[in-house]
Amino acid sequence: MTARMRSLAQPAIALALAFGVAAVLIAATCGEPFPRSMNAAGESFAALFRGAFGDTNGLLRTLAKSTPLLLSGLAVTVALRAGLFNIGAEGQLLVGGLASAWAGYALNGLPTVIHLPVAIAAGASAGALWAFVPGILKAWRGTHEVIVTIMMNYIAIHLTHYLVNGPLRDPTTRQTATPLVLPSARIWSLPGSTNFSAGLFLALAAAVAVAFLLRRTALGFEIRAVGLGPDAARASGIPVGRTLVTAMCLSGALAGVAGAVEVLAVHHRFLDQFSPGYGFDSIAVALLGGLDATGVTLASLLFGGLKSGANEMYTQTQTPVQIVGVVQAMVILAIGVRYVRKRRAG
Amino acid sequence: MTTNPQTATYNPDPQLEVPVIQMANITKSFPGVVANDDVSLAVRPGVIHAIVGENGAGKSTLMGILYGRYQPDEGRIRIGGNDVRIDSPARAIALGIGMVTQHTTMAPALSVLENTILGAEPSIAGIVDSRAAAARVTELARSLGIEIEPGRAAGKLSLAALQKAEIVKALYRGATILILDEPTATLAPLEADALFALLHRLAESGTTIIFITHKLREVMAHASRVTVLRGGRSVGERSITETDPDELLALMIGRRAASPSALTALGAAEKREESTGSMGQWVNGSMAEQGEPVPAYLAGSRPISDAAMPTLEVRGVSVAGTRGAAAIRQISLSVMPGEVLGIAGVDGSGQRELAEAIVGLRPLQSGSILLDGEEIGSLSVGRRLRRGVTFIPEDRQREGLILDFAVAENLLLGRQRRREFGGGSVLDLPRIEAEGEELVRASRVKAPGAMAAARGLSGGNQQKVVNARALRGSPRLLVAMQPTRGLDVDAARFVYEQFRFAQDAGLAILLFSLDLDEVFAISNRIGAMFNGDLMGVVPRAQASMEGIGQMMVGGSPARPPACPPTPNPGGDRPPIPNPGGENSGAGI
Repeated sequence: MTARMRSLAQPAIALALAFGVAAVLIAATCGEPFPRSMNAAGESFAALFRGAFGDTNGLLRTLAKSTPLLLSGLAVTVALRAGLFNIGAEGQLLVGGLASAWAGYALNGLPTVIHLPVAIAAGASAGALWAFVPGILKAWRGTHEVIVTIMMNYIAIHLTHYLVNGPLRDPTTRQTATPLVLPSARIWSLPGSTNFSAGLFLALAAAVAVAFLLRRTALGFEIRAVGLGPDAARASGIPVGRTLVTAMCLSGALAGVAGAVEVLAVHHRFLDQFSPGYGFDSIAVALLGGLDATGVTLASLLFGGLKSGANEMYTQTQTPVQIVGVVQAMVILAIGVRYVRKRRAG
Repeated sequence: MTTNPQTATYNPDPQLEVPVIQMANITKSFPGVVANDDVSLAVRPGVIHAIVGENGAGKSTLMGILYGRYQPDEGRIRIGGNDVRIDSPARAIALGIGMVTQHTTMAPALSVLENTILGAEPSIAGIVDSRAAAARVTELARSLGIEIEPGRAAGKLSLAALQKAEIVKALYRGATILILDEPTATLAPLEADALFALLHRLAESGTTIIFITHKLREVMAHASRVTVLRGGRSVGERSITETDPDELLALMIGRRAASPSALTALGAAEKREESTGSMGQWVNGSMAEQGEPVPAYLAGSRPISDAAMPTLEVRGVSVAGTRGAAAIRQISLSVMPGEVLGIAGVDGSGQRELAEAIVGLRPLQSGSILLDGEEIGSLSVGRRLRRGVTFIPEDRQREGLILDFAVAENLLLGRQRRREFGGGSVLDLPRIEAEGEELVRASRVKAPGAMAAARGLSGGNQQKVVNARALRGSPRLLVAMQPTRGLDVDAARFVYEQFRFAQDAGLAILLFSLDLDEVFAISNRIGAMFNGDLMGVVPRAQASMEGIGQMMVGGSPARPPACPPTPNPGGDRPPIPNPGGENSGAGI
């Protein structure tokens, strides 16, 4: 009972702190004297909320923005449950997106029932491969995964940048982008500007799958055992290295699918630097969600809402959209500090 | 400060000297444990004074109190004859006390010189006079014959060099009393010799030295006095010239003392006798005939004979220690089905390395390990577990349990892919929970339920969970390290009963224990390790506390006339190999 209360109290405190700091910042910079400045903060948040959840379009936009956050948030969750801090979701998402774009435009003449799964699987595989490198280095040499995943991010950013400017570039467009994926490899999406797509259902299915994996399967048991007690896991015969690599690959695959969904449902091609940092935001999503599939789903909705409501907030109250970044950063700080302290103590 | 040159290291004259350190009636409790219980210590100036005791005897706590790291609950401290209150290490340093711990206090990125003067920098108008500092440190080191490299980053030094630098640092701060906590734990033998040569020089120049150790060899060779702690109490203080390793070992481990574990052993023996009838595990007849409390199953109810194949055979196994040097050398032993081979030894003699090699946690440098005649020396821990090798690790909280896992999950560890729990894909959670509840009950674990987190259990109950997991299923070989540590008398007795029960089903047990009483109580044969070697293995009937004690300090396994192989009627048990023994079916 108390454990459950605490698991809810922690994100609540983090959110209160985050919005509190954001409110102070808004109040301090809006140019109004004190009592009215607090009103300005309140109005900004109200506009933010209206923009995110106030009408159907806002809600659909929120759900669309939540989709890649949910998938990559699950990616970070799976790795962190095994005790690995996967900072590399961004890179895995980029290579996953590019691989699925290539599979989407280069493979001709397949029916949708085959082509679409193949394109998604291509994204998952590329992401898994990208995460395999830090995973195997960790298991084999003990190289710290944070360092390697960060470096792999840079490689992914520059590699995709090169490929999409060179060999994979669509010569018929002025954008730096791959050719459009064939209709047979596209994920259904709502016409219009909301970007809402069936990718959301894929992400929700992934959330259910991750919950099942962690709670109900032998592999999930091993992942949790390695994350919570690596020495005991080793002494009781769990292959720690193999479990670490598996968890990391699963994590990379989920991030790769996040990239694939963005490409196959939203842009229909790989646009250079299409990700506004989903892979990084997903760390906050995973931590805020308490490394639990349900919590991560709720946290991705919240962060998706922040992103989708930010424009409405700016047009109505002239509060800069960057304040959303402040909220996210404060969440990471508030939860991350606790996480690090817990790790040290344990 | 008295620095009488007459008080040379090997010739202290107790009558002439006032103790420079007097700790009187020190008591210190931590939550759940009394670390020091009415301990008194007197150290005379300019001597090398050893403090020995097993792990958990309270040595480090006592020295931590002297260094101001802990505040005693009760007791007084006098330094140089004056009552003092040492409320911080800074106060201790001001009183001339320096301490060299097992873990370096030096910032790895700073040079030795910078580390040495840190916090006590010679300065001119606020600017560090590094030239003067360097000159002073170098001069100090040279006067002591210590070679240090003042410009080298501390992080780049070897452990031995780091330790010397720590000593220089303490002396630079004016230490006249130097405390060293297990100074040779991380040193190679030659480095240790060099360290003691330095300590002798320091003592001759008047520095008082206290070192903590559990290596009796060092005490005998280098200390002039020794205080022995056991279970938080000081059980004796001796001059080295008036004692010997046997006596010290006896004090350290409380041999023959009416310790709780001795009672446990006797209790367990009685319990076995009582239960022969009711549990149907042991045949009654021969015991009555022989008039000896020898468990009858040994006299013929067991399918064991000289010809039987040992469950475990270790042949010439060598294993590298954590620091590369061989931790155990050429160890050979065997354990028969249903037998307990107990290995005694002072902590750190290689027991951990041998146990880890057998269960698969440590790669072999050479040799082979056979289980039921099949080579398993290169298999993973998991594969050995599948073949029936289970393990009770020494450190139950780190290696034995996952504290944030439920008890049932801890009981499942290692078996999560077994067919009965789902076969490797989806876990059969209801079954895992139900069997967990059953094991919790059967193993008498006091827990709110099988789904309660292991973290919330007391230490003894955590140990029971680890034991229950190791005995779960039908293991062939159990490698048990300290299986009753932290258990009270009743709980320990229950563990022995569980062992007996499993033994009768043919389980071979290799027991590592620091508690000689325990080793003697439940072993069929007894061996002792010393410094990485197995000194010998003796049948229980021919083993004596004195003989095993000799082996534990490096003596030969040959039995001196002082301990004739008379069976001890109190709880003695014959050797297990039993020529012509036939299976009467009672044990299984």
